[in-house]
Amino acid sequence: MSELLNYIWLGVLAVFQGPEIFSLFGFGIPAAPVMVLGGLLTGIAVGATPGLAGPMAMAASLPILISVFGFTPDALLPVFGFLIGIMKGASVGGAVPAILFNMPGTPDALMTTLDGHPMARNGQPRRALRIAQLSSVTGDTFSDIVLFICAPFLAVVVEAYLDLPEKTALLILSISFVAAVMGGSVGRGLLSVGLGLVAAFVGTGQALTPRLTAGVDGLADGFPLVAAILGVLILGEIFKGIEELAHEKAAARAEARADGPRLRDDLEKGDIRRIAPYIARSAVIGTIIGALPGVGSTLAATLSYSLASRRHAARRRDDEPAFGKGAPEGIAATEAANSAVSGANLIPVLSLGIPGNAAAVFLILAADSIGGFNPGPAVFKFTAPEINPELVTAFGIFTLMSIGNLLNWTIGGRFMRSMGVLARVPGQILLPVVLLLTLTAIYVQETSLFAIWVTFAFGLVGYLFRRIGVPVLPFVIAFILARPLEQTAREAFAATGGDPWFLFSSLTSILFMVAAVASVALLSRK
Amino acid sequence: MSRNKADLILGGLVVVLALLAILAWVPNDSATGMIVKQRGRLLIGDAMAPVVGFSVVALAGLLIIVEKRKAGLSAALSPSNLRFLLLFIGIFVLSILLMRWSGPALVTLAKAAGLTDHTYRDLRDTIPWKYTGFIIGGTTLVTLLMSYMAGRVTWRAVLIGLLATFALIAVFDLPFPDLLLPPNGDT
Repeated sequence: MSELLNYIWLGVLAVFQGPEIFSLFGFGIPAAPVMVLGGLLTGIAVGATPGLAGPMAMAASLPILISVFGFTPDALLPVFGFLIGIMKGASVGGAVPAILFNMPGTPDALMTTLDGHPMARNGQPRRALRIAQLSSVTGDTFSDIVLFICAPFLAVVVEAYLDLPEKTALLILSISFVAAVMGGSVGRGLLSVGLGLVAAFVGTGQALTPRLTAGVDGLADGFPLVAAILGVLILGEIFKGIEELAHEKAAARAEARADGPRLRDDLEKGDIRRIAPYIARSAVIGTIIGALPGVGSTLAATLSYSLASRRHAARRRDDEPAFGKGAPEGIAATEAANSAVSGANLIPVLSLGIPGNAAAVFLILAADSIGGFNPGPAVFKFTAPEINPELVTAFGIFTLMSIGNLLNWTIGGRFMRSMGVLARVPGQILLPVVLLLTLTAIYVQETSLFAIWVTFAFGLVGYLFRRIGVPVLPFVIAFILARPLEQTAREAFAATGGDPWFLFSSLTSILFMVAAVASVALLSRK
Repeated sequence: MSRNKADLILGGLVVVLALLAILAWVPNDSATGMIVKQRGRLLIGDAMAPVVGFSVVALAGLLIIVEKRKAGLSAALSPSNLRFLLLFIGIFVLSILLMRWSGPALVTLAKAAGLTDHTYRDLRDTIPWKYTGFIIGGTTLVTLLMSYMAGRVTWRAVLIGLLATFALIAVFDLPFPDLLLPPNGDT
C-alpha cells in the first residue's frame, strides 16, 4: 500500500515539478498543468466548431508539442497534458452547436440536439448549456475514477496471470471484437482489420531483407505510423467532408431562435435533483461501454437516452416537458454517457496497450514519437526501491486527468458558453485549411514529401472506406497492434518449443480464442 | 448498380486479391517462409504474419458476399464519387508538385536573369526562397478546393489560401528554426 501511495505522490510531483513553461514573479510555472488548460480550451473550441473534431486538433498539435518539448521523457507529461485537455474539451464543446444551432459539433453530440435544441428554442439556451456541461463533466469525472482504479488492477492481473500465449490470444480477441462491433457489418469490420494488419507488416520482419516492399526503397522501414494513421483517420474525413460540402452549396443553417416567451435562462431550482439519477445511470452505462475497445460514445449516448426516455415517461409530471421537447433529463442522459466513454476508453490502452478510440490512438502516437513510455501491462510494475519511471508517468497522466476535470468544472462552462460563434465558421474555409495544416504538421515531423504522398494514399483509402461503409478505426487499431501481436506470437511460439497449438495451450487462452471466434460468428448473424 | 451486386463484386474482388497475395506476392516478397528452423529451433518466419493478415482479408471478402446488409450500407461508388476522386487527386498532385518544384524553378529563373548565382539548395534557408514553394503550393491547394466547393474561383479563396499559408509559417517556422516547411527537407 505504501508503494502505491509513494507512486501516486511521485506522479503528482512529476506533473508539478516537471519542466517549467515560464516564470511568474520568480516562481517557475510547471508546463504540464498549463498544457492541460491550453488543450482543454483548444478542445472546447474545436468541439464547438462543426466539421472539426478532437483528433484533428491532436494531429495538428502533436508535431508542435514535440518541437517545443523535445524527444526526452520530460516531454511526455506536457504533451499528454495537452492531448488529454483536447480530449476532455472536445467532449464538452460538442454540445454547444448541438444546443444552439441543432448541429452536433462532434458525432457523439447528435443525441444532445434532441432536447438541447428544443430547450434553446424555448428561450433557455444558457440553461441547456449549463445542464450539458454539468452532466458531461460529472460523467467524465466518474469514468476517470473508474479508470484510476481499474487500469492498474487489470494490468497487474494481466502481468501476473497471462503468459505469452495468453497475451497473444488476448490481442487476437481485442482485434476480433473491434472488427465485430464497429461499422455496419462484421465482414466490413474484418476487412478493415485485415488491411490494417497487412499495411503494418509492409517493410518489417526479422530477416535482413524487408518484406512486402515490392522493390520500393522508401518502404524499407514500413509505412510511417503518423502518415498511415492521420491519412485514414483525418484526411479521409476531410476528403469526404469536401465532397459533401461541394454538393450542399446552398444548405441552409438552422438558427437558434426562441419561439416562445422570454424565460429565466439559467439552472432552475430542482434541476440538479431532477437530472442527478439520469447522470448517474448514464455515467455507469458510458463507462462500461467505454471500457470495451472500439465501442463508441454514440452507442453509449443512444442507449442511455433510450433508457432514460423510458424512465422519464413513467415518472413525468404533466407540467414537465417530454423527451424530445426540451427535457433537461434528455440532455443530461446523453452528455453524461458520451463523456463517460472518454475516460473508460483509456482503460484498455493504459492497462493492455490496446487503443479503443481515436484519442487513445493519439496518446500511443505521442508515446511512440517521444519514447520512454510504452502503454501496456508492463507499465504497472510496482518496483522498489528502484523507481519504475513508466509507472510514475502513468500516475502523472491520472493527475493530469484530474486537473483537466477540475478545470472543466470551474472554467470549462464559462468558456464553453462563449463558443457559440464558432458554429458559424464555414466548412468551405475550414476543411481546406485543416487539410493544409495536417499535411504541414506531418511534413515537419517526417521531413519528407514521401510521407505526404503516403498520407494522401492512406487518405484515399480512408475516403473509400467511408464511401463503401467500411469502418476506419479497426484499420488504425489493427495497424497499431499488428507489430506487438506478431512479436508476442513469435516469442510464444519459440517459448513453447515450436508448438503449433500454442494459442490453445491453456484454459485462459482457449477462452480468449473462443470469445474471439464467437464475437465474429455471433455478431455477423445480428 | 444494385447494392447486392456491388457487395458481391466487392467481396469477390477482395477474396481474389487476397488469394493472389497469399499465393504469389507474399512468397516472392518475404525473405523467409512461414516457419523457419534456426539452430535446431522452430521459429515463425517473416511470411507468416502477412499470410494471416491476407487470410483475414479473404475471410472478410467471403463474409461480405454472404452476410445480410444493414439498411443504407452500399459498396457502390457513384459516378459523382469517381468524378470527385479524379478532380481531387488532380488538385492535390498539382499543389504538391508546385510546392516541390516552384521554389527551384523560380531560383533557376532568377539565375537566368542574373539576380543570383546560387542554387535553390543554397538558398532554401533564406527568406523569401524558403517560403516560395510552401506559399505557392499551399495557396493553390486551399484556393482550388474552396473554389471547387463554391463552384467558382474567387479572389476571396486566393486571399484565404495566402492567409492560411502565412498563418502556418507563423505557427511552424517563425518560433521553431529547426523545423522545416515543405519542401525544404527534400531539396
